[in-house]
Formats: sequence, C-alpha cells, structure tokens
Amino acid sequence: MKKLIYDTYSVMWRELKHWLDQKVRILVTIFQPLIWLALMGNVMSKLTDNPFSRQAFGGANYLSFMTPGIIVMTSLFGGIFGGISVVWDRRWGYLHKMLASPISRTAIPLGKMLATAIQGTFQSLIIIIIATLFGVEFSTGIPGIITIILLAACFNFTMAGLSIAIASRIKTMEVLTAVINFLTMPLMFSSSAMFPIQVMPDWLATIARFNPITYVVNPLRTLVISGWEMGDLIKGFLYITFLALSMLFIARHEFNRSIA
Amino acid sequence: MKVIEVKDLAKTYYSPFGNIEAVKGISFEVEEGEIFGFLGPNGAGKSTTIMMLTTLLKPTRGTAKILGYDIVHQPNQVRQLIGYVSQDLTVDDTLTGWENMYLQGRFYHLPKEVIKERAEELLKLLKIYDRAKDKAETYSGGMRKKLDIAMGLIHRPKILFLDEPTLGLDVQTRQDIWEYVQKIRKENKMTIFLTTHYMEEADSLCDRIAIIDKGEIKALDTPKNLKNSIGGDLIFLTIEDNSTEKLERFIKRIKSLDPVKNVSSKDSKCNIVASNAESLIPVIFSIAFEIDINITSITMKKPSLDDVYLAYTGREFRDEDGSREDSMRMRRLLRRTR
Repeated sequence: MKKLIYDTYSVMWRELKHWLDQKVRILVTIFQPLIWLALMGNVMSKLTDNPFSRQAFGGANYLSFMTPGIIVMTSLFGGIFGGISVVWDRRWGYLHKMLASPISRTAIPLGKMLATAIQGTFQSLIIIIIATLFGVEFSTGIPGIITIILLAACFNFTMAGLSIAIASRIKTMEVLTAVINFLTMPLMFSSSAMFPIQVMPDWLATIARFNPITYVVNPLRTLVISGWEMGDLIKGFLYITFLALSMLFIARHEFNRSIA
Repeated sequence: MKVIEVKDLAKTYYSPFGNIEAVKGISFEVEEGEIFGFLGPNGAGKSTTIMMLTTLLKPTRGTAKILGYDIVHQPNQVRQLIGYVSQDLTVDDTLTGWENMYLQGRFYHLPKEVIKERAEELLKLLKIYDRAKDKAETYSGGMRKKLDIAMGLIHRPKILFLDEPTLGLDVQTRQDIWEYVQKIRKENKMTIFLTTHYMEEADSLCDRIAIIDKGEIKALDTPKNLKNSIGGDLIFLTIEDNSTEKLERFIKRIKSLDPVKNVSSKDSKCNIVASNAESLIPVIFSIAFEIDINITSITMKKPSLDDVYLAYTGREFRDEDGSREDSMRMRRLLRRTR
C-alpha cells in the first residue's frame, strides 16, 4: 500500500510536469470557459426571459443553469484525453522503461487519473471564478463551491479511467482521438448539461435520463441553484463515487491486460 | 556463478494473419561479470529475447532465471536487479536530465539522497552534468542516449540489458559510451547482456557471442573461437589469365600445401582458406614463379565476425536492409517533438 502511494505519486508528478510545461494548454483552459459563458450565456439568456421557461431552468437564469454544465463538460473533455499519454508512452517506449522497473502496475493508470483530476480541479476553479465575474451566484457559498470542485474532480478521474481503458485496447493515436470525439459530443448533448430535460423531446429525454452525465450535472446544479438539498446530493455523491471506483477498477484491469 | 540461465525459451506471436515464431526455444547461460553479446539481423529475435528476460513479455514456452529468480513467477525480484536500456530513446523530453534521473530513481524506490548522489556521479561520468538542468529536448542525440544509459544504471543493476545501445551514433560517442559503461561494470562487477548490429563492437567488447538468426542460436562461443571455427585466414588472389592449364597446376600445388584447408577459384580469382596466412604468402609467390603465372594482386584477411556471421547464417551482415531502416528510425527518434 505504501509502495502504491509512492509509485502513484511518481507517475502523477511526471504527468503534472508535462501539464505545467504546456503553457498554451493552460491558457486555453482559461479562455475556453470564458468563451462558453460569454457567448452561450448571452445568446441563450433570452431563453429564460419568459416565466414558463424560467421554471424549466429551475428558476435560475441561463448562466447559473449552464455553469455546472460547463464544469462537467470541461471535466469530461479534460478527463477523456487522459488516456492519450498512455499511447505516447507506449509509442516512445517510455512505458517499457516503467514496466521494466519494480513500479506498481496499478500506479501507472492511477497516477495518470489523479493527475488529470488535479488539472480538472484547477479548471473548475477557473470556471467558477469567471462565472462569479459574470454574476452567477452560488447559493451554497464557499462550502458548496468546494463540494462542486471535488465532485467535478471525481468525474474527471472517472473519465480519465475510461480513456485509459480505451487507450489500452486502441494503440494508435489517430483511432483513439476519433473514438474519443465520437463518444464525447453525443454524451454531452444527450444529457442535461446544456438544456433541462423538461424542454427536450421525449426520445432525447429518455436518453438523457440514462446518461451518466445527467447524474453528475444534477447534484452540481442543485448546489448552484437550489442549495443544500441533501437527498439529491447524497444520491449524486454516491453515484459519482461508484462511477469513479468502478472506472478505476476497469482501467486497471484493461491496462494490466494490455501489458501482459 | 551463472547469473542468467535460459532453458528452451520460446515466444510465438499469435495473429489472425498467421503466427510468428519469433524465438524458437533457445537455451544458454551467462556467467557473472561477462559481456554477453547477441548478434543477429533485424527480426532475428534479439529484442524479443531481451524483452522476455526483462519481464516485459511472457514467454510462450520455457523458462529463464535471473540470479535465481524466475522471470515469470518472480518478476518483481528480477526487476529490482536488472537495468534495461531499450533500443528506443526513452528519455522524457519535457523533463530535464536531472528530473529524468530523479524519476527513474523513484521507480526503483531509492531514497532521494541516494538518487542525488548517484545521478551526479553518473551524469558527471557521462559528461552531461553541465546540462543536467536543461530539458532533454535540447540535447543532441548522443547526449540523450547517454542520459538513457545513465538512467538504466541509477539503481546499480547486477545485470544491464542493452538493446542496440549505440545504434546510429557517431564513432566518438560510441567509444565514450563504452568507455564509461566498462568503467562502471568493473567497479560494480556488473554483467552486461548486449544486442548489437556493430560487428567490431561485438568483437572487441564481448566475452562471448551468440549468433541468432530466425529465432535460433546458430553459434555460441568467444569471438576468437568463432573466428577460428570457420577454418582460418583468408587469402584472395587475382591472377593474370594466360592459360587454364597453368592455373589448374597452380591451384593443385597450392591445395597440396599443408596449412591450406580449402581453395576455390573462379575465372582469374582465387580464394584460399588457410591457417597462418602470413607465412604462406611467400610460398604462394614462389609457386607462381615456378609455374610462370602472374599474380596481379593479393589480399590477406584475418576472419572477422562478419565472415563468421556469413558462415553461420548464409547472409552477408552488411547487406541487410536493416542498417538503412535503422538509421532512418534513429533519425525519426531524434527528430521527434512532443
């Protein structure tokens, strides 16, 4: 166990070094939510002008509604590309260098997933700061914001696990990027991240009810708009934890299978 | 003491397009402190063997023991004792030389002070210490390879596996690398398992050499014995062609000489295999003078590993397409950017 933690830190340290090295990538993570909030928020703000639709959006303006959606979307995108480093490491032979050493095999996927989650924490924080500047009020205050960030990081971790599991099977960069893009867009737009389920056509609403992203967005939205509704929150929290743990297990299994 | 014991080790890659028997049941042993060379063309099974011995690949059949530990059942004990420098350049370009060493030390669970001390020592020895705080992406190809090798040495392995360590490097860098590796080897009584394309390298460095071709070991001995095993020295003659009858008489006379083992001739060329060729040359000249034929050129050659290789695999080593392909790959590796 001590060895696992030590090795996980080694892998994570390397991934974070890579991340900090990419200044442009960090800039993009700042500007992307800015663009989303400024553009989408302004274009769509008319949506919540009439009382009926305002009710569908949970009594909030569109920006408040969308902020949790953007946090989840950013986590999804950040996380789902976490597996790419596995493909790079394999291609350049660095993976073999790690595997020839006595490093714990679980530490490799776990360290990469944690590094992605830490990046996600940073991204969520930026989105929240920008949203606050745009006038979004978080009804649960600072403790709520911390909870939001933690839940988003958990989701990020989960998606990184999914990505590593896929990258363990698909070993070329081109195919992996294609598969990831194929997954993310439909996942995103068939969830309640951008629009409330109430305004969706029936077929889409049905898909959205089964979409895991809906279950992640909902507790975050509760924290932003409605406050501490413990029943919803605990359900959401349990769901995300379950998702994260099972994905860690799957990623570990797939990764170990690919190196055997 | 035997540090590597390989018994009937085999690896087959299964694929829907037909199975490839990369290694077909090889057996050999390596003694402590030896430099053991694996020599063979591309696709001969060298890297597959190294990957099995370094626990990166599971053998399809057979066993191997590294310092008594089984590579399949006790991989973690094996990993702690061996160092592996792959044929790919596996330094992390976005990290500095020092960070690369630090991370590598962590992979082997060394305390920070030990890493620091050994990294400094190794980087100084390999003459990249003054660049240790620069990112590896700014290094030249030779420097990166030196860093790669330094990384493989940080935990003081008992056995160092070097897979084509000097591929595509210039002569000076190659010599440097070998000088330092030899120094470390002597200080730590390290065993080296080496695969290489460079005949001269294998010849001058290795205590014993295994010639591997198509997944099988064709010959295994000291470079000297291998060279002796193909018969002796070579003499190449070119004769001014004046009469076939005279030429036949000449060849017959040469064949009857005691040290001569074999003579083959084609047109005006004549190849002689003999022991102690130096003292044979004057005799050849006097016979030529007697029979009255003109020798226009004469070359004497001590057998090289190239000739040994040719004799055992039926292929000329340098004619392999591989060398070109390899240098292309090397260039690709060096050009890479993240």
